[in-house]
Amino acid sequence: MTDLTLLGIAEAGRLMARGEITSTALTEAFLKRIAAVDHKIASYITVTGDMALSAARQADMEMKGGVRRGPLHGIPIALKDIYETAGVKTTGHSHFKKDYVPAIDAETVRRLKDAGAVILGKLGTHEFANGAMTPDQPFPIVLNPWNTKYQPGGSSSGSGAAIAAQLCMGAMGSDTGGSIRNPAGFCATAGIKPTYGLVSRCGVFPLSFSMDTAGPMAWTTEDCALMLDVLAGHDPLDQGSAKTAKVDYGAAAHRPIKGMRIALARSWYEGQNGEGNSVTPEMKKGIDEAVRVLKDLGAIVEDVVFPDLRDYHIAGRIIITTEAHAIHRQDVIESPEKFGYTTRRRFQLGAFISAEQYLSALRFRRQLTLDTRAAMRGYDLIMAANQWGDPEIAEEPQAVFHFLGKPQLPMPFNITGQPAATICCGFSSGGLPLAFQLAGRAFDEASVIAVGSAFERATPWRSHRPKL
Amino acid sequence: MPPSKTPPTLEEFRVRAAQSGLTLTPEDVEHLHKGYVGLLTLMERIPSHWAWAAEPPHVFRADE
Repeated sequence: MTDLTLLGIAEAGRLMARGEITSTALTEAFLKRIAAVDHKIASYITVTGDMALSAARQADMEMKGGVRRGPLHGIPIALKDIYETAGVKTTGHSHFKKDYVPAIDAETVRRLKDAGAVILGKLGTHEFANGAMTPDQPFPIVLNPWNTKYQPGGSSSGSGAAIAAQLCMGAMGSDTGGSIRNPAGFCATAGIKPTYGLVSRCGVFPLSFSMDTAGPMAWTTEDCALMLDVLAGHDPLDQGSAKTAKVDYGAAAHRPIKGMRIALARSWYEGQNGEGNSVTPEMKKGIDEAVRVLKDLGAIVEDVVFPDLRDYHIAGRIIITTEAHAIHRQDVIESPEKFGYTTRRRFQLGAFISAEQYLSALRFRRQLTLDTRAAMRGYDLIMAANQWGDPEIAEEPQAVFHFLGKPQLPMPFNITGQPAATICCGFSSGGLPLAFQLAGRAFDEASVIAVGSAFERATPWRSHRPKL
Repeated sequence: MPPSKTPPTLEEFRVRAAQSGLTLTPEDVEHLHKGYVGLLTLMERIPSHWAWAAEPPHVFRADE
């Protein structure tokens, strides 16, 4: 029998439906691997082994009796530790919440459990999804399974690392300024930042209420789609939640892509005439090759000029900094020492932004959204680099204000609210992942999934795994 | 944006920080000054003429 931890969600679901494997065996395999290797990367904060086995046995009993709850029935999933879980600690990777045990589940967790998913535990994150990982926080720094000298990217660090290391089949992340797509890119997993409003954020620690999204991460885009089938839908308790028609995302993963039109935002990631920043030569080569593959699959890929990447970056930074300060203001006043030294300063900075500056950033966001939509006219998707190059070295202290460096490549789609996925397109000579982003029109996750899945099936990268 | 033309000196920023209601170490203030001045530089990309303009009505449309 194959190593069960190498199975994808879609494949494991098929095998369980045919009675060839059980959820209990699958869950035991993941728990065994977590016990054996997670000490090398510290992706889990809490492992809920007994609860997971009990849920797995329940799923097996139901499936044996002919009850099939859907594509996640019996599938082992883990959660970024900002998702509230009834009876299980939800720490936010912070001293503030290190003993906090919520009474009820986040809406997304409730949906996962209703769909029969098996929750393996809670995963490391940048503190409250914003600060860097620093040694003054209560849990260890998560490391990149491809090379433990490096960070896995953040803020959904544990989610990316655990999926790549075969320590769960899928995980929940959150994305306010790239927090799903950064770790997905640096850990070679797939991840989808859904359209703002598609997935409930009720019961997820907020960072920036007008930018936060909750979304799935998994080894393949198709597996993310199966998670999205369960997660998407209106929640009256989330004021940003949208009422949208039900879409079969799993089916979208098998849609033909011939004739689909993709706008390549090359100016974001290839500096021209000495202006702007450039990805590493290996990343450029990986993306050029991805463009060739997509053309071979029948897609039409053309260079299109979008607004300057720095415009999205600064609008997003002002909005996130201001809203995060509003959310955490009381704590940074009363107990600043309880935050990690980087998180504290990022949350304090919002106190110095004026109402006029915040409003200008909101209006700039609106203009950028309209300009992006106009530039995308005639195209189904936007394609761009996901990251500039290799991740940061784990032992080197991160910049307190990281936004003063290069602009963030994922930020445009946090500004516009569009859905965006990260797709692995190879590895550097140093063995670290290369990745690109695909973004669709608002609520058109299906097109993103169709192209991402077709690319993954046409390339060998999903058969590479890190060795731990 | 108007304030970005003249970024505050560290001394000026210290005065402002003292009135912020935050408990700050001298090291915090230095980091925050650097971060704030950096933000102001980046904010020069934001058009200033919107600061007091009315929000267009489509912003409030729920069906977009």
